[in-house]
Amino acid sequence: MTSLGEQFGTSTGLAKRLASRGDLSGFLMALCQAIGADSYMLVAVVNDQNRSDVRIVASNWIYDTIQLVGHETVAAIAQCAHAAAPGARPRPITTREAPALAGVLGGEEARLLDVLGHGEIYALRLNVGRQRLFMLLSTEEPGQLDPAELARAQIRCCHALSQVPDLLAATTQQDPLSDRERECLYWVSEGKTTDEVALILGVSSNTVNSYVTHAIQKFSASNRVMAVATAIRSGIF
Amino acid sequence: MSRPGKDGGRLAARNRKSPFGAASPDGEPGHTLSVADAVRRCRWIAIDINAAEFALFFASPSLERARLVPCFDALHPAIAPGTRLAAGRGGEAIVRHARTSSLPCWWGNDGATASERAFAALDMAERTEELVPGCPGIAFPVFGERGQCGLIAFWGNEMVLAGDQALDIHARCFSLFAAVSAIRSNELRKLPTISKRELECLKLTANGLTSEQIAASLKLSVHTANQYLTSSAQKLDATNRTHAVAKALRLGLFE
Repeated sequence: MTSLGEQFGTSTGLAKRLASRGDLSGFLMALCQAIGADSYMLVAVVNDQNRSDVRIVASNWIYDTIQLVGHETVAAIAQCAHAAAPGARPRPITTREAPALAGVLGGEEARLLDVLGHGEIYALRLNVGRQRLFMLLSTEEPGQLDPAELARAQIRCCHALSQVPDLLAATTQQDPLSDRERECLYWVSEGKTTDEVALILGVSSNTVNSYVTHAIQKFSASNRVMAVATAIRSGIF
Repeated sequence: MSRPGKDGGRLAARNRKSPFGAASPDGEPGHTLSVADAVRRCRWIAIDINAAEFALFFASPSLERARLVPCFDALHPAIAPGTRLAAGRGGEAIVRHARTSSLPCWWGNDGATASERAFAALDMAERTEELVPGCPGIAFPVFGERGQCGLIAFWGNEMVLAGDQALDIHARCFSLFAAVSAIRSNELRKLPTISKRELECLKLTANGLTSEQIAASLKLSVHTANQYLTSSAQKLDATNRTHAVAKALRLGLFE
């Protein structure tokens, strides 16, 4: 009997610690192989004004597929109700049964995905510390993957990605803030005024305002409220 | 794209024990359970890995003070001495770890116990500072739907934990924590009854729109939009607009 653990531990040597982007791709390829998935895509979802976008961390999808279906479709798949939190039973999105997917995918996108080798997609939510990512694992033919093995693979990914936080941060840029900026923004989110934050941190009001302004710029937010919302949404605090 | 082999171990793998746990609500989000149910589920996990004690902690959301806030342990509704010690020590290192990493972390002293040998053999675990003095143990970082962060810790001298059993245990911890944090947010949710319109205004504010822009997109007057924002801030017991948006997001009133 081959289990995921044994395969990782011995034959593929994937228990080794990840350090580089190459290690990460190697890990994801071997993970697919171990559970029988054809493709993977690791993304972070970014909310911007009125739409969702994705930052692709790693993927072996054919590039044209992503171009054809668009980032918004990928974001919709990642965020749909079928996306499993770690420890929940994963549920498949079967693109071949497009009518059943009203609200997740348009019929045209579903058909494209099916034709391009993604007959069934599992969206798995990953937690790497407070940072949230999504793993899309797909097979050409539906019904190939075992939910229990997927759930183990999901935890495996959370563990493995925890070893390369810098790599993730470089791609997703979810926490571009300095310690001081984060602190200021945190107090602003607690309803404190500039003067109150200045008092709490023992700096001048001008300094507080400049930290907050920098935070707003880094998030390309339009104002304080949006910067606070972005920080909460991306799990910075 | 390479096409991996599709037979072999998978059929055998299908017959293996499910990681979701006998009592898990089959991964259905929104299923709530009582704290007593949660304690029972946690006890089952502890039994499976032969841990003497267990505890669930929330990591304090404040960035200033990284500390562990006990939620329940084996002696629920009382608090066990071990949990008290762990919380008293603050667990600053372990909370900082959990904010940036999902790797399980373990502690021990001289390496003489069966538990420590089992932990040292795990390929995906990090050693950390002692959480419960004098007794080796392991803590699994866990995260809720709304970005809540916590740790489920098990300790004892004779624990068994090997290979992908650690993955299953961690999966069950995640599922348990999701259920526990859902109880919490349901309790919090009892307070405000925010109308649909107020929620729409709050959400648009979070997306960076000004009152004028909100009024235009919802076809309201600017005065009404402001009125909605003021009343929602009052209901959320928030001091200003930013605070109201932050509270609503943390309560999970919208994404």
